[in-house]
Amino acid sequence: MNPFVFKQCTNVLKSAQRKAGTIGELLQGITEVSEASIFHHTYQYFLKGHVLEYTNDFAQWVGESLEEHTLAEHLSGVDPYDFSSVELLRETLTAVVRDYLSRFPQPRPALRGNEFSFNESVTIVFPTGIVAHNLAEFLQALRYIDGSSIYYHFYEGRIHGVFGPDDFSQWLKDQAGEPELAGKLRHLDPFMYDIEGLRKLIIHVVEHKVQTDMETL
Amino acid sequence: MLKLSDYAGISPKPDLQLLARLADKLSPKRLLHINSTKEGGGVAEILNRMVPLLGGLGITVRWEVIRGDQRFFTITKKIHNSLQGLDETFTGDMWDYHFTVNEKNARTLDLDADAVFVHDPQPVPLIKFRKNGLWIWRCHIDVANPVESVWNRVSAYASSYDAAIFSVSKFARQIPLNEFIITPTIDPLSEKNLDMGQNEVCKVAEKYQIPLDKPLLLQVSRFDRFKDPNGVIRAYRMVKKYNDCRLVLAGSSATDDPEGEAVIREVQEFADGDPDIHILLLPAFSDRDINALQRMASVVLQKSLKEGFGLTVTEAMWKGKPVIGGNVGGIPTQIMNGVTGFLVNSEEGAAFRIRQLLNNPDLAARMGENAREYVRNHFLITRQIRDYLFVWYAMLNKSKSVLEL
Repeated sequence: MNPFVFKQCTNVLKSAQRKAGTIGELLQGITEVSEASIFHHTYQYFLKGHVLEYTNDFAQWVGESLEEHTLAEHLSGVDPYDFSSVELLRETLTAVVRDYLSRFPQPRPALRGNEFSFNESVTIVFPTGIVAHNLAEFLQALRYIDGSSIYYHFYEGRIHGVFGPDDFSQWLKDQAGEPELAGKLRHLDPFMYDIEGLRKLIIHVVEHKVQTDMETL
Repeated sequence: MLKLSDYAGISPKPDLQLLARLADKLSPKRLLHINSTKEGGGVAEILNRMVPLLGGLGITVRWEVIRGDQRFFTITKKIHNSLQGLDETFTGDMWDYHFTVNEKNARTLDLDADAVFVHDPQPVPLIKFRKNGLWIWRCHIDVANPVESVWNRVSAYASSYDAAIFSVSKFARQIPLNEFIITPTIDPLSEKNLDMGQNEVCKVAEKYQIPLDKPLLLQVSRFDRFKDPNGVIRAYRMVKKYNDCRLVLAGSSATDDPEGEAVIREVQEFADGDPDIHILLLPAFSDRDINALQRMASVVLQKSLKEGFGLTVTEAMWKGKPVIGGNVGGIPTQIMNGVTGFLVNSEEGAAFRIRQLLNNPDLAARMGENAREYVRNHFLITRQIRDYLFVWYAMLNKSKSVLEL
């Protein structure tokens, strides 16, 4: 069995040098900005570490700054993990905005200073120095690793290289021989928890399995 | 002298780990910071801390300050104001002089380094005298809505750099180069932010004759109309109908600022002798007193109508206080509405949020805890130093958006 090597990541924001003051400009921006920018405003939304009203930066801005709650809800309903590429996600986001614009009048622009700023990010990934060789070590590590490591493996893990499951459930299934436990982690709703809430939940699920194993004759 | 290890247990461990790793990768390269003052202002404050810390990590780091006469600094003050949208008069001579003073400085300063961080518009023309290395322009001010003609002059220099750094996305302006966003930070080990015992807090309350008999609302800021001190008093009066409390408005006496004095008089008149309103004119170097005032407050306000980054918000959040801030400038970057504090757009909104917090101590405590953790993760000086090295390292690996260390 290959051990689980805990890594962590840090990002620095980079401006995509584009702003949007209206829904039309937002649509134009979503259509034209780099994949890295779409990626940042959707998949990396979880970097904030808190559950907010909406589930990506576009929805949050439309809801908070333009007070267009219907569109914000529609955009929030787009689950980035449903797509196998950023381009497919971009297509759906633009379709949602276009559909809204065809049915509702263009709302007021954002107030000066509240425009949407398109960004990207540069990520550095580095090891925590913690390695788990079995389920018990994995559980112990989950208690003490930094939240950025949970973020990296649970969220970014689904999208580095190929789009797929998170690193934790992947390791549990492929290396630790725990497909059932892997399935439980895979079914956690990624939108409903902040990082610490997620840590507690993962620990709870894994601990239950470790306890059961220890009690089994 | 401060060492990175002094921040262990305070700053997030991954920040310290990454800082050490990046320094290791970049060592023994030479880093040079250039700004226009050794003392006073947030930039000098941070550099004073950052330079020895980086030196301790094996980076050869120098900090140079450009010299200029009164004429030069009058011109750069006008440039500073115009970049923030204020209309000032400029002549061609003034721009020539701005360049000439930088040219003179370039002759005496040692500009030989592997990475050069040039802070703000005063030394921005130094790029014309670059010898080698990577040059990064660090713009600390909001240039989103500048006087165009002034911006064109400054950006003509800025566009020769390899990268630029702005404090908040919305403060940035398009230049054809890599633009990074790095927020300002506070130093948890400075006098203004160090932990403090209740005894000292009580002594400061006595010193300023503030009885700690009822909940305290506090705003710390310059006496400036953009900080809306009278709006804060109006919000306090709305609250007072429902909750007994005191209000402290604390700021520097600003004897050199005639407008500041006029604002103080307006605020005093508006307070109308209310014994529960305390208007404090703090002398310079009152950092410890400000620290204590923030700790004795139940709710901290920063109800600005216009704001730069507004680091007083982060200072209060670091003390575990729920902060109610105006939805302007850099305040929304610090306050995640409803999670780490409240954002408001009116006096009525401020009054309502104050009442909510005073009547719900659990909510106030939870928000204060979230606020402190948010500051720990985003707004401590170690993160800012980490990000400077990060940008330097990222620029050396330009084409990659994910870097493995």
